[in-house]
Parts: sequence; structure tokens; C-alpha cells
Amino acid sequence: MAFAREALRNIFKKPITEKYPFERREPAEGFRGRPIWDMKKCIGCGTCVRVCPVKAVEMVGRGREAIIKHHLERCIYCGQCAESCPTKAITMTPEYELSDTDKSRMLHVYERK
Amino acid sequence: MSGSTIKIIIGPQHPALKEPERFILETEGEYVVDVKVRIGYIHRGIEKAMENRTYLQGLYLSERVCGICSDAHTTCYVQGVEELLGIEPPPRSRFIRVIVAELERIHSHLLWLGIAAHEIGFDTLFMYVWRDREVVMDLLELVSGNRVNYAINTIGGVRRDLNNGRIQKMLKGLKILEDRTKEYLKMIGREQTVLKRTVNIGNLSKSDAIKYGAVGPTARASGVKRDVRVDDPYAAYDEISFNVIVEDGCDCLARIMVRGREVLESIHIIREALKKMPDGEIRVRVKPRIPPAEALSRVEAPRGELLYYIKSNGTDKPERCKIRTPTLANIPSLCKMLVGGYIADVPIVLAGIDPCFACMDRVLIIDKEKRKAEVWTLDMLRRYGREWYQKR
Amino acid sequence: MVSEALNFVLQLLIFPGFLFIICLAFFSEWVLRKFVARIQNRMGPTYTGYGGVLQPFADFIKLLGKEDIIPAFAEKSFFTLTPLLCLALPLTAIFVLPIADHQALISFEGDLIFLAFTFTMLTIMVFLGGFLSGSIFSMVGGVRAATQLLGYEIPFLLVLFGPAIPASSLSISKISMWQAQNNAWGLWTQPIGFGVLVICLLAELELLPFDIPEAETEIVAGWNVEFTGRRLALVRLGRDVELVLASAILVDLYLGGPQQVWIIPPIVIFLVKMFACLLLIGYLKTLFARFRIDQVLSGMWKYVIPAAMIQFIILKLIW
Repeated sequence: MAFAREALRNIFKKPITEKYPFERREPAEGFRGRPIWDMKKCIGCGTCVRVCPVKAVEMVGRGREAIIKHHLERCIYCGQCAESCPTKAITMTPEYELSDTDKSRMLHVYERK
Repeated sequence: MSGSTIKIIIGPQHPALKEPERFILETEGEYVVDVKVRIGYIHRGIEKAMENRTYLQGLYLSERVCGICSDAHTTCYVQGVEELLGIEPPPRSRFIRVIVAELERIHSHLLWLGIAAHEIGFDTLFMYVWRDREVVMDLLELVSGNRVNYAINTIGGVRRDLNNGRIQKMLKGLKILEDRTKEYLKMIGREQTVLKRTVNIGNLSKSDAIKYGAVGPTARASGVKRDVRVDDPYAAYDEISFNVIVEDGCDCLARIMVRGREVLESIHIIREALKKMPDGEIRVRVKPRIPPAEALSRVEAPRGELLYYIKSNGTDKPERCKIRTPTLANIPSLCKMLVGGYIADVPIVLAGIDPCFACMDRVLIIDKEKRKAEVWTLDMLRRYGREWYQKR
Repeated sequence: MVSEALNFVLQLLIFPGFLFIICLAFFSEWVLRKFVARIQNRMGPTYTGYGGVLQPFADFIKLLGKEDIIPAFAEKSFFTLTPLLCLALPLTAIFVLPIADHQALISFEGDLIFLAFTFTMLTIMVFLGGFLSGSIFSMVGGVRAATQLLGYEIPFLLVLFGPAIPASSLSISKISMWQAQNNAWGLWTQPIGFGVLVICLLAELELLPFDIPEAETEIVAGWNVEFTGRRLALVRLGRDVELVLASAILVDLYLGGPQQVWIIPPIVIFLVKMFACLLLIGYLKTLFARFRIDQVLSGMWKYVIPAAMIQFIILKLIW
């Protein structure tokens, strides 16, 4: 019966559960969500392609003309690309609701304007 | 075995096992008289995959060997690679490694406490403990940017610094955790039904623990003072004073108490580390190519001693990476614990070593032509090894 | 004569008969789930109906639509019979308990014995259903249920018949009426008996710390592991009705049953008392870890049976 008091105390507490789809919690500062590429800064060096542990980044073309394809379904959000980028063109956003039923929507293409 | 025994097979699928593994119990009436373990159901080929990745990519793979002790795996891995390179990470990064490792230990032990409560049917305790575990999960997210795979270690240091705001939030969270853990330990010690299910269950005497090479909390619950943090200090553990928690109960209750008290000790270590943490760099830049060498690295993961052996060959990929997880080291002791107990106590005894089978399974030989998977005996492995080395 | 018969049929089918009892069963499952969830700091059922009140009913409907599988090794007749009896037995037993009035729907001298009989039958059905399902887990669960019966059967019967002595009647309606009229609730006159009855009902309902026959982490779902679809729906509904039955027994034998207080109708008083008992059961259910089967047997024989006997002796000395 050692838990009798603890149990009684909890009856009158508000449940700790967050009603997730209705209430969203802000992720902590510095949370690693979906990475985005700033193509104005990108020099097309291909470092992100090389360091990515899961081959989630693809580069079409070379140098300043290159297009970046980011396969979200493969990404593990380690943030190594953002860290290795020499021009800091990649930032990790706090976006975390990224699942989808359609694979084609998981592909993010970054083109030069 | 005499003919009067009945074989009861637990696993590969069983509600007491979170991961597939097979235990063949020889039982006489309600008692277990012999146990055979068949491992290898969840082999994932991680060691082989390591050989096809660069050192930096391998880091993220090692993180995914285990979901619970992911930081211990990366720490062990980067230590090995740093040893190969012959570099020393900056002092501040070593303290940050200690802090994250201890936060992870708290989270792992609380998780285990909840599971143990669930195994003996005490769902209320399970809910309470997991509720309070959220505090430490939030702290980990605050420190590293993610709840589970922290990705805080990198070769040559850590990737993220601690600022003052984060430290203040951390101290606040630790206070809550300390109070709650103390409360739970007090209540568990007084709750008769819990004592009934854990006292004198799954005994492992001190001599047996040494004989079967138990590691981590399993060994410490049997009175063996065995802790890599003290025996072979890594990161900044040599600069922090702390106690090794040892219990003499040798049973499941002792395993609960050891882990509970270790949570409190971890909180103490984090506070100490935050106080003593020097300013300065958090990482040094390293070259991707690593000269040929061999390195052995040990870390005290939440479940016990974790061991990495890495061999480099001058390229940017390791030639061999061998992982030995604590669960594998604890399996012989587990068999010893199960023998002589009740069948109804198998779940809690199994849970007692905090098994993580997915981390453990390493060898499964699949014959492509025969389309058959088989497990090799030690002799077969030895013969294969000898032949393989002769051929090179 | 005709109108009387019609009235009886209406009472039997609607109020306080089948329909009312089944609605009450669903509602009490919701109350229990919500209450346990609150104790554990969770939400409990939330989205179906107001505060999730329709969730047990939704579960029931969902299970009705699921595939119905009879395992190849199962004894077909018992496999079909068990779920039906699991619902039918507690439902029948509830008619001898006074709910809406001083008088139960069906009341005769000796209905207390009938009640005891249905409870034992229920456990035997659980044992047979589990044992003949053809799965190791259900077999172990069934055997455990029967073994547990050996532990709680004797104290259960002792304290069930305790309140009959002062009222000098074996009819539940008369017992509860006597208690209400003399203002001598069983709870005050024989408190040990009340405690023992609560313990035995926890064991009968297979709630913690006695949920050994369906221990999730040991034997999956125990004796009902093989039941699917309609059968499982019936088993679960039977469980809910049993929950109502258990709390109703507590109310009628130890808390004075449905009394008329001032102008409040007896049914309201009864429901208030019943839900108090339900909450007590729910509260106790959350406080313990599960016992092992041998610990239950030895504990029952060592402590609970002597306690029930002492209560019985004290009663005999006074009356």
C-alpha cells in the first residue's frame, strides 16, 4: 500500500499527456528537424553528398549550376551536412511533422533561380 | 536431463521479450532446471556495414546499434578513432561527453525501472516512472537537439556547446529527477507486493557474477565492484569524484536498487561536471584518412561494459570494427539466474539484466545457395577464422 | 394479469433488466478506465462521445465486426459455449440483486446460494474455456484461474453468507432491506468481512494484484488469448457485467442496498453506492504488483481464510 498516497494525489492532477494533434509543443532550441538548402549560398561543392551517412542528398550537375535533391525518407536528421557545409548554406529547421504517405512528396528539390 | 522435464520455449516472440530471442527452458513442475539460449534472431550486419562507410559516417551507424544507449556507442567509437589518430579531445568536450553520458544513464535506468515494474504487473509505477523520464528526455533534447539519437559526439570532440541558459534549465530538471527518484526508491522499498516478486528472485551470487563475467548493474547488484568509469577512466571521469554503487542483495530487488541509486549518483556526477567544466574549444579538426593502427576502446554504457575494437588500414574506411555489447556479456549470468527459479518469474529475471538483444546479435551465417541460415558453434567459427587468415 | 406479465417482461428486458444492466456495464467500464487512467496521470478514453464515454461500446462494436477464428486444436463446443456463459451467468446473477427497488426482480429464499453457485460456475467456465482453447498460454491461464479459485472460494463463501446471519434470511433482498431498516450496514457491523469480500472480488474479477490468469507479460492474455471477434466481444462484455455484479454485491450485502432516503429514489442511492464501490476496486487495482500463483494460495490460506473465519465466529457470538 506504499503507493496509496501517491495514487490519491494524482487523481486530482491534470493528465500529463499532451493531446498531440491538437496541442503541439515547441521543440527545444536547436532541435534538428528538416534541413533546408539556401541555394544563394550553395557553391555546389558536394560536401553534403559526401558526408551524408545515409546518402539522402543527391547533387545533379556540378558547381554553381548544381541542383540539390534531398530525399527526406532517407534522412536521419543527424545534421552532419549542415555542420560540414563550408558556406553554411544548410540550416536545420525545427520542423518535425515530416511523415507522408506519398513518397514523391518526400523529395525536396532545390533549384537555382 | 531425465525424462520428467518439460521444455517450455520462450521466444522468439513472447510478450516478456521486447526483442526476438529464444530461451529454451527445461522445467520440472513450476521450476526451471536448465536454460538454453539461442541468439541471432535480430542480427543486422552492422559490423560489416561499418567497413563500407567512412569513419564519420560510421559514427552515425554506431549510434544506431542501440536506441537506448546510443551515446555510449558513439563515445566508445570516437574514443577508438581518436586513439587511432593519436589525438586528445579538448577538455571541455570531455566534460560535455560525461554530462550527456550520465543523462543517458538516467534515462536508460528510469526506462528500465518502468519495464521492470511492468513485468511484475505494476503498471502504475510504470506510468509514473515513464512520466518523469520525460524530464530527462527533454533535457537531452535541450543539450543535443534530439531525444534519442543525440549525435553529440564527433571525432575530435563534441558538436554542440552548453550555454548558461541550458545549464540553468538542466539544474532545474535534475532537481525534479532527484526528488522523484528518491521518492520511488522509498516507495518501492516499502511496497510489499513488489518485494514479494523481487526479493530472492533470480539470485546471482558474487562468485558466480565473477565466474560468468557479469558486467554493469548486473554485476554491481551482486556485490562486484566493476565499473569502467573507475577501473579505466575515460572522458573526464578521472577528474570527477563519485561512488560506485554496489548492492549485496544479489537478487532482482538489488538490481532495481542499484539502478535507482545510480540515477542519483549520475545526477551528482552531472552537477559536479557542470561545476568543474573548463572553458575553451569543444573540438579539434581531424583528417578523414587514418593511419594503419589498432584501437580498443571501453565505455561504461548504462547496461555495462561496452567494447569497440577498430582496425584502420590507411584509407578513410575502417578495415574491421568489432562491437561487444554488455547484454552479450550478461547472457551467461542470465542463464545462471533463471535456473532454479519459478517459470512465473522468468519475465522479471529476464528483464533484470536490461537485455538489448538487437545490440547483441552479431553472428548469423546465411548460406545463399542452400537458402539456409545456421548458427555456428565456437569450433566452427575458429576453423573458419583460421582458414580466412591463412588465405590472406 | 396480462398487464402484470407485460410489466414483468418490460422490467426484465429494459429497466432494470438487460438493457439497463448492459448500459451500466459499459458505463462502469468507462468509469473504471477513466479513473485508473487519472490515477496513473493518463488521459484514458477521450474522443468517443463526451470524455470518451462511448469508448467501451465502440470497442464492443468493433470486435463484433472482426474475424471470428476457431483454432484447429480447440474443443469447438466449449469454445462457443464459454463466451456465451461468460455473459449469461453474471447477467442472470444480477437479477437476484435488488437494484431499482427493495425487492430484486427475481427474489426467492436462498437466492444467495444461487449467486454463490453462479460465481463458481463462472470460474469453472473460464477454466474449461481456457483449457480447451488449444493454446499453451490459454491452458496455463485456465489452470491458474482454477488454482486461484481454490484460494479465494472458501473465504468468499464465508463472507457472502456473513450478512445473512443477522438478517436471518438467505434472500439478498431481505438482507439488504433488513440492513436498511435497522440502519446496520454490514460495513459497520462486520468490517473484516467487507475487507475480505473486496479482496475475494478482486481475485474473482482477475484484477491486480490477482490478475494471474491473464498476466500479460507472462502468458499474453491467459485464458482468453484464443478468443477473437464476436467471442472476445462477449467475453469482454461479460467482464463488464461482472464488474457491475461485484459492486452490486458489495452494495446489497454490506452497504444496505437501494434505500429510499427522503425523496431520492432508491435507484439513485444504489448507483451512488455502486460507483463508490467501483472506484474503491479501481483504486485498489492500481496499487499493487502482481502476485505469483503460489503466493496467492499461501496468502489466502494463511491470512484471508482465518480473517473470514474470525469474522464468522464473532458474528455467531453476537447474534
